[in-house]
Amino acid sequence: RLRGGVWNQEKGDKVEILDAKTREKLCFLDKVEPQATIAEIKNLFTKTHPQWYPARQSLRLDPKGKSLKDEDVLQKLPVGTTATLYFRDLGAQISWVTVFLTEYAGPLFIYLLFYFRVPFIYGHKYDFTSSRHTVVHLACICHSFHYIKRLLETLFVHRFSHGTMPLRNIFKNCTYYWGFAAWMAYYINHPLYTPPTYGAQQVKLALAIFVICQLGNFSIHMALRDLRPAGSKTRKIPYPTKNPFTWLFLLVSCPNYTYEVGSWIGFAIMTQCLPVALFSLVGFTQMTIWAKGKHRSYLKEFRDYPPLRMPIIPFLL
Amino acid sequence: MAAAAATAASKGNGGGGGRAGAGEASSSRKKKGPGPLATAYLVIYNVVMTAGWLVIAVGLVRAYLAKGSYHSLYYSIEKPLKFFQTGALLEILHCAIGIVPSSVVLTSFQVMSRVFLIWAVTHSVKEVQSEDSVLLFVIAWTITEIIRYSFYTFSLLNHLPYLIKWARYTLFIVLYPMGVSGELLTIYAALPFVRQAGLYSISLPNKYNFSFDYYAFLILIMISYIPIFPQLYFHMIHQRRKILSHTEEHKKFE
Repeated sequence: RLRGGVWNQEKGDKVEILDAKTREKLCFLDKVEPQATIAEIKNLFTKTHPQWYPARQSLRLDPKGKSLKDEDVLQKLPVGTTATLYFRDLGAQISWVTVFLTEYAGPLFIYLLFYFRVPFIYGHKYDFTSSRHTVVHLACICHSFHYIKRLLETLFVHRFSHGTMPLRNIFKNCTYYWGFAAWMAYYINHPLYTPPTYGAQQVKLALAIFVICQLGNFSIHMALRDLRPAGSKTRKIPYPTKNPFTWLFLLVSCPNYTYEVGSWIGFAIMTQCLPVALFSLVGFTQMTIWAKGKHRSYLKEFRDYPPLRMPIIPFLL
Repeated sequence: MAAAAATAASKGNGGGGGRAGAGEASSSRKKKGPGPLATAYLVIYNVVMTAGWLVIAVGLVRAYLAKGSYHSLYYSIEKPLKFFQTGALLEILHCAIGIVPSSVVLTSFQVMSRVFLIWAVTHSVKEVQSEDSVLLFVIAWTITEIIRYSFYTFSLLNHLPYLIKWARYTLFIVLYPMGVSGELLTIYAALPFVRQAGLYSISLPNKYNFSFDYYAFLILIMISYIPIFPQLYFHMIHQRRKILSHTEEHKKFE
C-alpha cells in the first residue's frame, strides 16, 4: 500500500518502510527532514499503523541486520535519496519500570503472607501465630527491607537505557521472583523451622554480611546513576568514588551484582535454609551471565578499559 | 515424553549423535559439519549405540522365546539398557562442544528424562520392574533408538537410505504414544511404593529447613506430560510433512 502524497522533490527525504519478512510496502513517507531521527520516523509510522507503537518497532537497513537506534539520524545513514527501512514487530512491550515494580512488590507481599501465617498455608492451629525464634523476625525485616529498597531504587535511582521489554518477560520474571519468595518464606516461617546451628553468632555474622552488601549494592547503584545524566543514554566507564563501597570497581565490572550475591549468601547463612541457598545459586548464575555480557561490551566500547577488572568475582570470574 | 523427544526430527543431515526435536534451528541447513576427526568419532559413537540397542532388541526376543511369555522381560536386558541409555548423556556433551548442531538445553532435557525413568523410577522402585508397562516403553525406545542412531550414522556418511529416513519420520506416530503410555503407567505404578517407603523424600524438621516429597514430584512429572506431549508430537508431524514431501519432490525431478 503506497501512501500517496505530493512528491515534493525540493525539500525533505523520502522513506519507505517494508515488512522485513514479506517485503510488503507498509508505509511511504515523503518530505522527511534529513535531520530526523529514527525515533521521529517511528512516530510517523505509528500514525499509519497505530497498533505498532514506537516501542514495538524495530527498524533496520537490512531485513536481517541489527536494529537502528532511536538516536540515529536519517541523514547519516548509508541510504540513497529514498531510504528503505525494514520493519519487524517486536511484539507487545511493557516498560521496565512496570516490570520491576511488579517483580519486586510480589515477593515483599508474599513473604509477609507466610510470616503472618495467613490461613491455609500451615495447619489451622498455627493461623496468625508468631514464630518464637528471633532469627525468623530478623529474616522478615531483612527480606522486606531488601525488596523495599529495590522498589525505591526502581522509582528514584535507576536510569534505564531501554524503555521497554517484551511483554512475556513479565510472566517469566514474576514466576521466578514470586515462586522463589514463596518457597523460601514457607520454610523460614514454618512452625517446624530449625534455627541456625551456631546460634546467635551465626546470625550476627550473617546479618553483618547482609547489611554491608546491601549498602554496597546501593552505593553502586548511586554511583552508576551519577555516571549518566537524567534522560540520557550515555555510557561511561564506572570508577571508584570517595565511597569505600565503590572501591570494588577496581576489581570488578559489575560490583552491584557482586554485592547482590553477597546479600543473598548472608541471608542464606542467617536462615540456614537450603531453598535460600538454591535461590542464591540461581541468581548468581544469572548475574554472572549478565556481568560477563556487560564486561564484554565495556571492553568492546572502551579501548582504555582497566585490565585488572573481572566481570563479577575479583580475580576469578 | 522421553520416547517422544527421542523420536523428534533432526533437521538437516549433520545430526550426528545429538537429539534434535524442537530445538534445532529451522532456518539453517548447516553446510559446515563437524571436522573429520569429530565425524569419525561420531560415526563410531552412533554405530556403537545402534549396536547396543540391537543387543537390547535381540535380548528381548531371546528372553521372550525362552520364557514363553512377555512378562518380566526387563530383567534380561536391564544391564545393557542402563548402560546404553545412560551413555546417551554423551550427546549433551556433543552439543556443548559443538560437534552436533542441536540445542544443549533441549538435548539435556530429552536425555535426562530418559535417564530419570531408568534410574529414578524403574531402578529405584524394584516393585515396578515386573510391570508390563516397562516392556511397553522399552520396546518403543529400542525401535526408536535403533532407527535414530542408524539415521545419524548414515547421515554422517552422506548416504542415507530413504527407508531409514521414512522409518524415522513415520514410526514415531505409533512409537511415541506407546512410549509415553509405558512411561506414565510405570510412574503411576511406582507411586504407592514411593509413598510407603518415603523414597527420596525428606520432611521437616531438619537443620537445612528443606523438604521434598518425591511422591508429589512424580505426580507433577506426570502432569507435565499433558502440555509437553502434544507439542512434541505435533512438531514431529509437521517435520514429517516437511521432510518427506521435500524428498518426494526431489524424486519427481530426477
